[in-house]
Amino acid sequence: MTLAQALAVLRERGPDRAAEMVVLGEWLLAQAGLSGDAGAVTVAPGSARDSVELRGGRVSGCAHRVPWARDAARIAILLDGRALVVDRADVSIEPHVNLAGDVRDTVVFDGAGARSGPGVDAEALFLRGALMRIALMAGALDALYEIVVRHAGERHQFGRPIGSFQAVQQHLVTIAQQVAMAGVAAEASAQRTGGFEIAAGKLLANHAALSAGRAAHQVLGARGTTREHPLGQLTRRLWAWRSEYGDEHHWSTRLGAGVASAGADSLYPAITGGSTVVSL
Amino acid sequence: MLRFAPSELTDTELALQAEVREFLDSELPRGSFAPGLGMAAARDQDFSRALAARGWLGMALPRRYGGAERGVVDRFIVVEELLRWGAPVRYHWVADRQTGPLILRYGTEAQRERFLPAICRGEASFSIGMSEQEAGSDLAAVQTRGTRAGDGWCVRGTKLWTGGANENDWCVVLCRTSEEDDRHRGLSQLIVDLRAPGVNVRPIAYLDGSEFFNEVVLDDVFVADELVLGEVGAGWAQNTSELAYERAGPERWLSTYLVVEQYLRERGVTDERAEAALGEAVAGWWGIRALSLSVARLLDAGQAPAAEAALVKELGTRFEQQVLDAIWRLVPEDPHPAAESLFERLLAAAILGAPSFTIRGGTNEILRSVAARALRA
Repeated sequence: MTLAQALAVLRERGPDRAAEMVVLGEWLLAQAGLSGDAGAVTVAPGSARDSVELRGGRVSGCAHRVPWARDAARIAILLDGRALVVDRADVSIEPHVNLAGDVRDTVVFDGAGARSGPGVDAEALFLRGALMRIALMAGALDALYEIVVRHAGERHQFGRPIGSFQAVQQHLVTIAQQVAMAGVAAEASAQRTGGFEIAAGKLLANHAALSAGRAAHQVLGARGTTREHPLGQLTRRLWAWRSEYGDEHHWSTRLGAGVASAGADSLYPAITGGSTVVSL
Repeated sequence: MLRFAPSELTDTELALQAEVREFLDSELPRGSFAPGLGMAAARDQDFSRALAARGWLGMALPRRYGGAERGVVDRFIVVEELLRWGAPVRYHWVADRQTGPLILRYGTEAQRERFLPAICRGEASFSIGMSEQEAGSDLAAVQTRGTRAGDGWCVRGTKLWTGGANENDWCVVLCRTSEEDDRHRGLSQLIVDLRAPGVNVRPIAYLDGSEFFNEVVLDDVFVADELVLGEVGAGWAQNTSELAYERAGPERWLSTYLVVEQYLRERGVTDERAEAALGEAVAGWWGIRALSLSVARLLDAGQAPAAEAALVKELGTRFEQQVLDAIWRLVPEDPHPAAESLFERLLAAAILGAPSFTIRGGTNEILRSVAARALRA
């Protein structure tokens, strides 16, 4: 599976371990020269609260918010430009979930043995994580759009479909716009995979998650707020993914600073040329 | 389902972009002119002629009428560079964007030969005679009437908020030529000579005091049959298709671009608040540009993406205002329209111009209704 294929799978099907490994885990191991081991590897995203230390080839401390850690064969973490890989059997897990109920465990290392490899750029890892989230978010928004449009056509109140009311149509248009923005963000960032495209793409996906999520719930009414209805799982994931691998503040300031450093004369060329003109 | 797909510019398209950038750098260098905001920029027929000499007016029109047969995306590339530069595009703006394509589609052979080469040379300017006192969003309510008179029509009525009518040569006037049960029938488009007897143009000062809007009183103006555009009575469909040319181009998301560029040039981005505002603006331009370019590609492929265009215009014009507000909030003092600082002048112009972004060419409320019709399961 290529990176582009993996991103397409994530957009189409939602969270998928094989695809996630292509984007993050296997890529990280390849960077560090640690490819070849069998078994699913998950990557700790790196949190400000992490406290991981490496002494004499042994890892101690905590890594937070690690996806599907409890079910992985190996856990990879990044420390000072080195990738450390630890067997799942050698760590303990504090189970946690995110807003969507998806696993985000705390991994506790207590002198676990680690294989390690150098040469991994933390920024590059963060960008790939964001790239993955953009694809997932665009996919969730595609699914949200389908649900909302079908509901607006089928649900009758006051004797007619609610989608025939202008006030509801306003929400539908907002959703369609945000889905379109997240969609081009996902496609364009997957094509280029540059820092500019990922920064702009994650920012647009985050905005879409908030405004389309809000509007979708308003269209669906009370039923959309229940666990019986599929909308809630999509919005809960969108809201969780919004914060992962860079929130709006992170990406807007980083993109703004990057573009500003190129200067006013390069501003429009940056908008049209993206990462071919500006590196973040 | 809406059809949007991002695309990269081809090598030929990138070459055109580079050519336009070089042209502007050498023929209209920064500092040598007063840049304007998008399509509200200055009027300069010499500049329009210079563009024409490059083949950049009427780009999508056939060669036999003086056009370049280059398509919608190529025009997109030229237009976005002109707008982001603040170039004086106003003389040719309406003719190039919509009257040319409209005459090509509905005009007689004689009309095409008369008007299209002139448009492509930068020698004919047009106004849009749609709105009236009682017909804003509801254009079928126009009360201007054409009555049969010899070999033509006697036109009587008053057009309102008509951009550039005090300076332009022609105006495509939507008027009622017959009473029908269906009010969308019986409307016609007439090409009115703005210097003909009976045409009285009175400028109406805009918020910033500029005189671009006009009241155009048509007091028994004779319009010969040869200046009826398309079919008598079919003006509604023609007018609707004309509006489609007005939507989703770069002028719908670049109106406040220069405010940001000049802020960066004069004041610099020195704190996180300004970085965030700039980052948000850049991400928005990047995404909306991809949608807008996608609409242009659909048009080149012979499709009619009316809903997509309405969606992009609605999004783009609100975005123009959001960008403005974000920069405005970074500035502690109220900007003066005649300040020495170009940034301050552009900011003042943008603040006063912004209310029209979401009104001109179809209000955002109408656009949402147009787009919503396509959003069905």
